[in-house]
Amino acid sequence: MTIQAQGMSHRRELGANGLLSWIMTVDHKRIGILYLFSAFIFFLVGGTEALLMRIQLAQPDNKFLSPEAYNQIFTMHGTTMIFLVVMPLAAGFGNYLVPLMIGARDMAFPKLNALSYWTFLFGGVFMYSSFLFGGAPNDGWFSYAPLTEKLYSPTHGMDFWVMGILMLGLATTIGSINFIVTIIQLRAPGMTLTKIPLFVWTTFVTSFLAVFSLPSLTTAVLLLLLDRQLGAHFYNTAEGGTALLWQHLFWFFGHPEVYILILPAMGIVSMVIPVFSSKPLFGYAAVVFSTIAIGFLGFTVWAHHMFATGMPTVSLLFFSADSFLIGVPTGVKIFAWMGTMWKGKLRFTSPMLFAIGFVALFLIGGLDGIHLAVVPVDWQITDSYYVVAHIHYVLFGGAIFGIFSGIYYWFPKMTGRLLNESLGKWHFWLLFIGMNLVFMPMHVLGIEGMPRRIYTYGPGRGWELWNFVETIGAFIIAVGIALFVINYIVTMLKAPTHEEDPWDGFTLEWTTSSPPPAYNFAEIPSVRSRRPLWDRKHPELADWRNEA
Amino acid sequence: MFRKFGVLMGLAILLSACQPSPTFLEPASSISNHEANLYRIILIMALVVFVLVEGALILILVRDRKRANNEKLPAQIHSNMRLEVTWTVIPILLVIVLFIMTVQTVNAVAAPSHLKSDLNIRVVGHRWWWEFDYPDLGIVTANELHIPKGATVQVQLESVDVIHSFWVPQLSGKTDVVPGQHNTMWLTSDQVGEYLGQCAEFCGTEHALMRFKVIVDSQQDFDAWVANQQKPAYQPQTEDEQAGYMEVTGACAACHSLDPSDLNTKKVGPNLAHLFSRSTFAGGTFDLNEENLRSWLADTQAMKPGNDMDIKILPKTRDQIISYLLNLK
Repeated sequence: MTIQAQGMSHRRELGANGLLSWIMTVDHKRIGILYLFSAFIFFLVGGTEALLMRIQLAQPDNKFLSPEAYNQIFTMHGTTMIFLVVMPLAAGFGNYLVPLMIGARDMAFPKLNALSYWTFLFGGVFMYSSFLFGGAPNDGWFSYAPLTEKLYSPTHGMDFWVMGILMLGLATTIGSINFIVTIIQLRAPGMTLTKIPLFVWTTFVTSFLAVFSLPSLTTAVLLLLLDRQLGAHFYNTAEGGTALLWQHLFWFFGHPEVYILILPAMGIVSMVIPVFSSKPLFGYAAVVFSTIAIGFLGFTVWAHHMFATGMPTVSLLFFSADSFLIGVPTGVKIFAWMGTMWKGKLRFTSPMLFAIGFVALFLIGGLDGIHLAVVPVDWQITDSYYVVAHIHYVLFGGAIFGIFSGIYYWFPKMTGRLLNESLGKWHFWLLFIGMNLVFMPMHVLGIEGMPRRIYTYGPGRGWELWNFVETIGAFIIAVGIALFVINYIVTMLKAPTHEEDPWDGFTLEWTTSSPPPAYNFAEIPSVRSRRPLWDRKHPELADWRNEA
Repeated sequence: MFRKFGVLMGLAILLSACQPSPTFLEPASSISNHEANLYRIILIMALVVFVLVEGALILILVRDRKRANNEKLPAQIHSNMRLEVTWTVIPILLVIVLFIMTVQTVNAVAAPSHLKSDLNIRVVGHRWWWEFDYPDLGIVTANELHIPKGATVQVQLESVDVIHSFWVPQLSGKTDVVPGQHNTMWLTSDQVGEYLGQCAEFCGTEHALMRFKVIVDSQQDFDAWVANQQKPAYQPQTEDEQAGYMEVTGACAACHSLDPSDLNTKKVGPNLAHLFSRSTFAGGTFDLNEENLRSWLADTQAMKPGNDMDIKILPKTRDQIISYLLNLK
């Protein structure tokens, strides 16, 4: 391939493969890979923390971890998985794929893009350095005031958390603005908003969510900083501050955040399922509208995290109604994915298995979530293990499965190599079985009265069996992840095949070499439909002849 | 098929429930009963959707998998307005039904507007134990809340430090205990018994060891319990007891009161006047007996790391204190 040859020689001309070239890079693809790689390392760290917790909880009155250690570990597990894993993994895919998918040569602001990555990395490393300076943050990823006040959290852990969150928020804000501008300004000729690939749509909506929700978190954290460092009293109830102020500010960010985490994975799945069904996405318009609807509704449900705080009934019911409503666009998506597979020609490759796993598991996370919107039931199960089950069906069964689907799918584009398919299938089944073993019993434990965030529990409450089963499940997941790491190493040791389009794809990223040259496309493509590559392969069935 | 699944679920729950769990699905109050019923209805609705959707998914996966040598392209269907409207409208109807049921249950468990409280209780959250005040009866106790069967009990929730959450699954859902805010809830039960509760909002190091019980007594037992709690604390008889008493009213009194009517003391530790009328200590964590109390006074931090009682007591003093405390029935 001439393009590929050009790409290779272009790389060589720059002498661009040393460590320094990665540090200095402003190429969106390299920044994307940096994001993905760093976030995956954090994923291994956060996963190890989860294993430590599961060992501690495997039996009652276990002394494996001290309460102080457990509280630091569960705090860092949540903070890591949300801010240092799922968000940057999505940012990594976004960086790598958005310019390729819209037929652009790079992001709108390549240098800002590098700034965003390095700010994220520094923020993450900074937060973890707290382990070396007298203890990590230990008040949970939600860090409710006034527990976070200096009086109750005297170590520097919370100060590291506050500064780390400020840096990570800054990184995400910069990155989001970059995505928004890129998607508005740099689309290839002919690619109207009704033709952009679904992953680009979800990145677009996610970026708006981040830009509008992060200021609330920044405010919350800055007030905490003032309380802790300058003796202000925003959350200090003894001096007239308000404890619930933190919760409102935090969840006004925190609920949109859930969609920031899940929408990119939904975008990935919406790209993968059509390709391996050999059909277009069923109901593109409905999926796009449901994404936008989730974006708006996501800002109106924050107080469903606060049903037990003593709010007036009218407020409770308002937030309950909105939380029900947000289930509707989510359902539309699930039906759209199933409609896409309906009467398709399904190829069960690793990316497809993870995408199907996403649909199957995310559905459970949607259905068990209904209970949490029902105020009187929520009073029983909020802050119990039921919620832990729910968020993991959404964020592990959902976000992480979607992300693995994306990794298997675009790995050949990024490296020129296909990951081993048998190992990929083992990886999928171990994760699928393991995650159900860990998280399904958590529903039962929540119903049986086990609160979350406890470092131990006494015998005789009927919680032993399921806790033990969960720990086994956690190790099954760990084996699955280890297989993935092995798969990665084995694959990278092989010579690349540089296949341009190994999956018989539909969208622009598969029209250039693998990996693409620094400038992506020799010639900026022009676009007539949602599946430009399909159109080229099947001119007689081209989408632009059929699309409504 | 559906029934089979239910039986399997039931078996699984039974297996784990060799011991009784504090679950709201075995309610001992009308509040928890309403909540459990609503939970079950929604669980069934969710299971129906689950079976239908996952079933359809499996059907599609099996039926539409690529067969060998099938090179024919599937029909390229982009959308179907009627179908899409259907699967948008059905969930909207479902959530309207859910919302109506939610409103009904919220009203059913809310404190009745004509609520005539038979008993007022003030619950105070401390890191990491529970204080229970009976302002009308002039008594105060810790970690074990007694209420009479059939009474309507109004509970006022306060915290002296951070946010806690008051949860006795079999009697009621959670209400947060927020510093600087006076939340109220109500309790009532027609079943005599002991019901386990636990703090449900992360409150720091020993959040896990902030447990308690609610004991629903017959009216007679409750009256007897109140009468006992209203008595002044035991007066020392022997020399050892006297020495212990001096400690308890001396050094210990910085944090613990020995006056059973000492409400609103702001002391950081629980009232000791009728310590041995309780069955547990240290946030409902350990059985209250001489042996446990001895290890506790020897090294509180080993038993409950991080708690505010960070002291070491010499063995002799310890024995004297215990010889007195044992009489605080």
